[in-house]
Amino acid sequence: MTQLALMIDCLRELNMASVFLRMTLAVICGGMIGLEREQRRQPAGFRTYILICLGSATAMMLGEYDALMLVSGWGESAAQPNTDVCRFGAQVINGIGFLGAGTIIVTGRQEVKGLTTSAGLWASACMGLAIGAGFYECMLIGFMMIVMTNNVLRRLESFVLTHSKIQNIYLEFDDMADLGAIVAEIKAMGASIYEVDIDRFRSNCADKPSAVISLRLPHRQIRTHLLTALAQTPSVRTVEEL
Amino acid sequence: MLACLDHLREIDLLSTFIRMLLAMICGGMIGIERSCRRRPAGFRTHILICLGAAMTTLTSQYLYTKLSYYTDIARLGAQVVVGIGFIGAGTIMVTRQRRVKGLTTAAGLWSTAIIGLCCGAGFYEGAVCAAVMVMLVEGVFSKFEFRLMNNARQFSVLVGYKDMDAFNNVIRYIRDLDLEINDLEITRRSGEKGENGFASFSLRIHRKIQPDEIVRDLSRVAGILTVEEM
Repeated sequence: MTQLALMIDCLRELNMASVFLRMTLAVICGGMIGLEREQRRQPAGFRTYILICLGSATAMMLGEYDALMLVSGWGESAAQPNTDVCRFGAQVINGIGFLGAGTIIVTGRQEVKGLTTSAGLWASACMGLAIGAGFYECMLIGFMMIVMTNNVLRRLESFVLTHSKIQNIYLEFDDMADLGAIVAEIKAMGASIYEVDIDRFRSNCADKPSAVISLRLPHRQIRTHLLTALAQTPSVRTVEEL
Repeated sequence: MLACLDHLREIDLLSTFIRMLLAMICGGMIGIERSCRRRPAGFRTHILICLGAAMTTLTSQYLYTKLSYYTDIARLGAQVVVGIGFIGAGTIMVTRQRRVKGLTTAAGLWSTAIIGLCCGAGFYEGAVCAAVMVMLVEGVFSKFEFRLMNNARQFSVLVGYKDMDAFNNVIRYIRDLDLEINDLEITRRSGEKGENGFASFSLRIHRKIQPDEIVRDLSRVAGILTVEEM
């Protein structure tokens, strides 16, 4: 028992064995989170997660290496023999923020996509830092919580989304003149409209005007009812729930 | 600070677990309300951000107190403040009517990251207080803001008119009521019935007049085909 404790304590320091272990753990943890994302065909998949997790763990260990060398070897010739062990790791958080922002896109239908992906990447980078620091408890808990969020809580989220009274509808219709009738139809069902975002000049299909309507339903049951009613309106070409 | 939580301010397996669980709960509570409103950043996004932020402060506290490295205990957490700014910037978009959308979501996401930092640092009181406040602001105040917008501020109306004379009549009517036009978009369409035009007005109205009255009066203006409140 004491030997096990000694071994774990040894792995908390920076040495050949712990460097190897941490990097392996980073690859495994990153890979398992990434694999699940890959299966769902998200933009950031298996290798992306591994690389980010591995990179942030390495950055953290680089800081530790510098701190170690300043104590043992380099310190004698330096004017002020200390460095902040977190400096490299801290910039990882910032850098992955940039990288994650690149995965976010705004579609032509005013949807924001890729936000969960970027948040997931960022969270795994933070987990990578914990791995690099040798904070194995944090790694274990963090890994389990991220996996749980991506799996179990996904279902909870989709349940909430299907039971939400707020709805965003994308519509394509023949003519601007018909928008009045469409708005009147939505209102006749008792839904209140938050916002209408009209586009008449879309470059890729310029012949049809389109609109994104955000509305609040009076009760959840008329969700499909509203969509079918809109689809049956003669001037409406496309109805899509966002 | 509450003395009963003092034994959870040290780093061990239990406190690590509790902090991260708290981060998950706080992030989830804020996120689920956003999901309900169909905002782009929802349940999972908030949880992941909150969890990640908690891990950073946990890690630096671990390095500082357990491994006694020379470090600034706040350095890792400080970068979260910047990093999440970038991710939040991705949720902000400019709509075709040149309005900025998604700012509140971005700000909420950023606040959630700060709550995550508090959770990870073991500042339980701050984390719980801030989470309750953020939920209050996003959940309750949004209704208040919506009502404010609805009653007194902005009012959008789509007007279809026959010719330029009718359009001028509309402008004159609005001017007479002393309403301010914030935004005006005009499209013309030539069809079998001749030249028809559509204008979407965004008006700033005052309390003396009801939106319904404007719609009713506008539809009585000569040459106006349709009036629809949006």
